[in-house]
Amino acid sequence: MSNFIGLIRNENMKIYRRMGNLIMIVLLIGFIGLTGILTKTDKTKPVSDNWKQELKAENASMQKEIKKEPMMKSHYERNIAINEYRVTHDIKPMDAKSQWSFIGESPDAIQFILIFTIIVAGGMVASEFSWGTIKLLLIRPVSRSTILASKYVSTLLYALLLIVITFVFSWLWGGILFGFELGPETHLSYADGKVIEENMIGHMWKEYGFASILLLMMATFAFMMSTIFRNSSLAIGFSIFLSMSGTVAVQLLSKYDWVKYVLFANVDLKQYFDGTPFIKGMTLNFSLAVLAVYFVLFVALSWLVFKKRDVAA
Amino acid sequence: MSQKPLVELKDVKKRIGKKDIIHGLTFDIYGGEVFGLLGPNGAGKTTTIRMMVGLMSLSSGQILIKGKNIESQYKQAVSEVGAIVENPEMYKFLTGYQNLIHYSRMVKGVSKGRIAEVIELVGLTNRIHEKVKTYSLGMRQRLGLAQALLHSPSVLILDEPTNGLDPAGIREIRYYLRQLAEKEGIAVIVSSHLLSEMELMCDRIAIIQNGKLIGVQSTKEFVESGTERKVRFLVDEVAAARHAVSHHIKAERMTLGNGFIEAEMERELIPEVTATLVVEGVKVYGISTETKTLEDKFLEVTGGKEIV
Repeated sequence: MSNFIGLIRNENMKIYRRMGNLIMIVLLIGFIGLTGILTKTDKTKPVSDNWKQELKAENASMQKEIKKEPMMKSHYERNIAINEYRVTHDIKPMDAKSQWSFIGESPDAIQFILIFTIIVAGGMVASEFSWGTIKLLLIRPVSRSTILASKYVSTLLYALLLIVITFVFSWLWGGILFGFELGPETHLSYADGKVIEENMIGHMWKEYGFASILLLMMATFAFMMSTIFRNSSLAIGFSIFLSMSGTVAVQLLSKYDWVKYVLFANVDLKQYFDGTPFIKGMTLNFSLAVLAVYFVLFVALSWLVFKKRDVAA
Repeated sequence: MSQKPLVELKDVKKRIGKKDIIHGLTFDIYGGEVFGLLGPNGAGKTTTIRMMVGLMSLSSGQILIKGKNIESQYKQAVSEVGAIVENPEMYKFLTGYQNLIHYSRMVKGVSKGRIAEVIELVGLTNRIHEKVKTYSLGMRQRLGLAQALLHSPSVLILDEPTNGLDPAGIREIRYYLRQLAEKEGIAVIVSSHLLSEMELMCDRIAIIQNGKLIGVQSTKEFVESGTERKVRFLVDEVAAARHAVSHHIKAERMTLGNGFIEAEMERELIPEVTATLVVEGVKVYGISTETKTLEDKFLEVTGGKEIV
């Protein structure tokens, strides 16, 4: 075990001693910082005292919109239900310029974390080949499986670090800009035609959790590409392309039933908690099973190829 | 050298796709000797080295390091091996010291003291905390040697160890490898294109060509072996001389020059030919025998193929 920790330290040293990987962290912090300043200087007024009237008015206009745009029906229904719930249960909407609301936006940063993690994952094995160092790495009394595992775990630790940085910095920066007041806010979500009340902290964890599934799957995919093709540009480019286009592609193809077996139809588990399932008949357990199959496939392919390959680069 | 061999190759074969790269190599390497792998490019030296360190699988046969099979007992076998495969490629964005720390974490029992000792040994003490990208090829070679020696292996495998070193560096490494072999009883295996280097460095040399072992010989034997040698007779009349010796040496084996004839012959034939020339009235001004260098010998064995 101490041996494995040593290997992780090695991989971490190789990640964090490279300028490019540190710049990505700086970019991430810069993005959150900028978002904060934009929110702060934004002209939106704080939620007024007669917010109940405003919500009622909003609902009325949305009712009209539904008739015009039936495509957006489920979206409007959700908002109307939540607004009605607020009015009847006296739950004031959150002020956009508050620390909670700012932290609430932070899961958006996971899109950047996704790209940065793909960049690290895509280079993890391929770089050792392009540097030529693989030949010195694999002639030690450590099995190839252990080396691959240490590389994979280090990749996930990098993603985790970025998530922690995002959360902590959002909390800190939100507090600095809007004041440190974290009241017991309530978050409302909508599923199966019902509005559900949630504690804000619990909701945040869920948000990060949902967003991390795509992150985990694509990091694993990029890692697999890196191992199989030993070409970091290919692994990074292809993985980023898929992450960007995958969700759109499955939406365009959603009329076909087989699409439910595609990875990207299942990465957004939020569809079962707040919203409607992507294709009728899909359930949480179905998606979890599909995700598990893809995950095992990615890991198994990386492992098989790495273990068996003759190193001749 | 009567002890058990440290490295044993037993009918090692390697097939990639439909092509046989290595056709069956069998030889032993003992502790305390510097062993050379010699052969033209593409002969299979690097493939052989890669199989010895477990980077490539064997198609058949086996390689034993201190009696441990490199494939089935990989960890035990490779613990005894330190190696540089091809160029000493290190992590350029790390310092020399960080590179050594990196490799020290992958083996058991390498102390900070041992790392310092190895750095001292290869003479990198002054620059060890600088990034590897600032190193010259020679310094990288030294750092490569340091990582190979870190865990005090009993077998040291170096692919082209003098590559990129200046003459002083080459002499130093040669001296150092001999020391390792003689004082510490390590089996040192080197491959090199620099034949003159092999001659000076190695105790025994295996010649490989097209994936086949042509022979293993001690360096001394290798250079002196062969009963035939080229002999040159300085004479006044080349045509007469040629005619005179025609019953000793076939005409097509003879080279005629300006004032000399030259031919390969056995040692015993030299006085006979000389006597004949004198009897036939040809004036002999001088007789010289050429000792073959390893390079000539090598070219002869490998059929004069391009070496570099």
